[in-house]
Amino acid sequence: MNKMWNYIKDWFIEMGSPPLFFKWSSKVLPWLIFTTIIIFALGLTWGLFYSPTDYKQGDVYRIIYIHVPSAILGQSIFMFMAVCGFITMVWRVKISGMLLKAAAPIGASFTLLALLTGSIWGKPTWGTWWVWDARLTSTLILFFIYAAIIGLHSSIDDKSKADRAISILSIVGIAIIPIIKKSVDWWQTLHQPSTFSLTSAPSMTPDMYQPLLVCVLGFYLMFALLLTMNLRAEVIVREKNKSWVSKQYLSEDK
Amino acid sequence: MKSNIYNWFFLILRRDLLIASRRSSTYITPLIFFLIVISFFPIALSPDQEFLRSLAPGVIWIAALLSSLLAIETIFSEDFRDGTLDEFFISNDPSFVLVFAKVLCHWLVTGFPILIASIISSLILYLPFNSLMPMICSLILGTFFMSLLGAIGAALSLGKSAILSAIIVLPFSIPTLLMGTAAVASAIDYQDYSGFLLIMGAMLAIGIPGLCLLTVEAILLNYE
Repeated sequence: MNKMWNYIKDWFIEMGSPPLFFKWSSKVLPWLIFTTIIIFALGLTWGLFYSPTDYKQGDVYRIIYIHVPSAILGQSIFMFMAVCGFITMVWRVKISGMLLKAAAPIGASFTLLALLTGSIWGKPTWGTWWVWDARLTSTLILFFIYAAIIGLHSSIDDKSKADRAISILSIVGIAIIPIIKKSVDWWQTLHQPSTFSLTSAPSMTPDMYQPLLVCVLGFYLMFALLLTMNLRAEVIVREKNKSWVSKQYLSEDK
Repeated sequence: MKSNIYNWFFLILRRDLLIASRRSSTYITPLIFFLIVISFFPIALSPDQEFLRSLAPGVIWIAALLSSLLAIETIFSEDFRDGTLDEFFISNDPSFVLVFAKVLCHWLVTGFPILIASIISSLILYLPFNSLMPMICSLILGTFFMSLLGAIGAALSLGKSAILSAIIVLPFSIPTLLMGTAAVASAIDYQDYSGFLLIMGAMLAIGIPGLCLLTVEAILLNYE
């Protein structure tokens, strides 16, 4: 057990060094691409072609296989970012700041995807593109917070300083997002009874949620893949003046 | 030891209040801005009494949020530019106290005029008399929380454009906005509003230590 723990600890410390991360991720990346494509294709084909049709909504409901995983990702990426932010603030690990920076656009895209697919789904089932429902509103606010983080990072020239600035912002965010969610819920119940409920459909049959679980897994793998690729780009740009980059990757050009 | 911190706190507070009092624009601008924003709503929408009354809590709160953030970037930027902030951070006195004193000063200088302006605007917007009390209480709590949030935004965007700090801060201000309007709106309907005020107070109680400490971190980023 102790040996295992030491191994994990060493691995984390090693990953904190950009050259070692780069070497390791080069090995892992092909496998990650392979499994992501397999799981993604499996989940989507299962969900879109083989799961039963909903008796109320017909085939429209199948957008759930994109909508729900991207909404889950939008929230869990923010939690991931807050953990990275905490590590950046406390231990000043260089790579966790880069991880935070690399994760932000991905999280924003997934949140935007959830909003867009939600409104595409809302048009045929509810009759409108947008409802000021509690969940929709809090997702929109989450998107604004992502936008604030990305905007702040791009406005600071010194990138390691920008990492720490957005780590402060992501810590404030993780403290305030539960409050936003709760307060939006209260606001909804105070002003008007919700016209539509997202959970009005009868609880799903296993035939429907098994592909959904596969899709969620596929989206998580997609996030891991995009994050690794973003992070590699980030590392190589920031360390372009270091000797290990020029030795391994730039010498062939000259 | 104890008296030292208090002396330091009151020293900063007195200095900042003195600077603000010598420059009348710091406390007159938010007041005028608030009243202008408020007066736009009847002009743009409708002067109908019932309609304005239903709109009043939200309108007052949006105007209060915007005008409390109007001059937020000056909270640190002038001291940063002329080097006073460097001296404060070099000194042995706790920087946490410094930030808190500055936030308190900003709130006294902008939040207080907003309170007075909100009483005037409650007459303009036909807000019923019984909702005046929750409005004042919620504005006291809410504008203080906004000053705290604004301080962190101002510290993060030190030396950058003022609009950046507004974009950073505004998404985080939504709970304050919701609670504040809910408190006033439920008082209009003769419902119990104390719960909303208690939550705002709880947010403030967590916000004072938490956000002040993070603001110190954010200011320190500029000294590397």
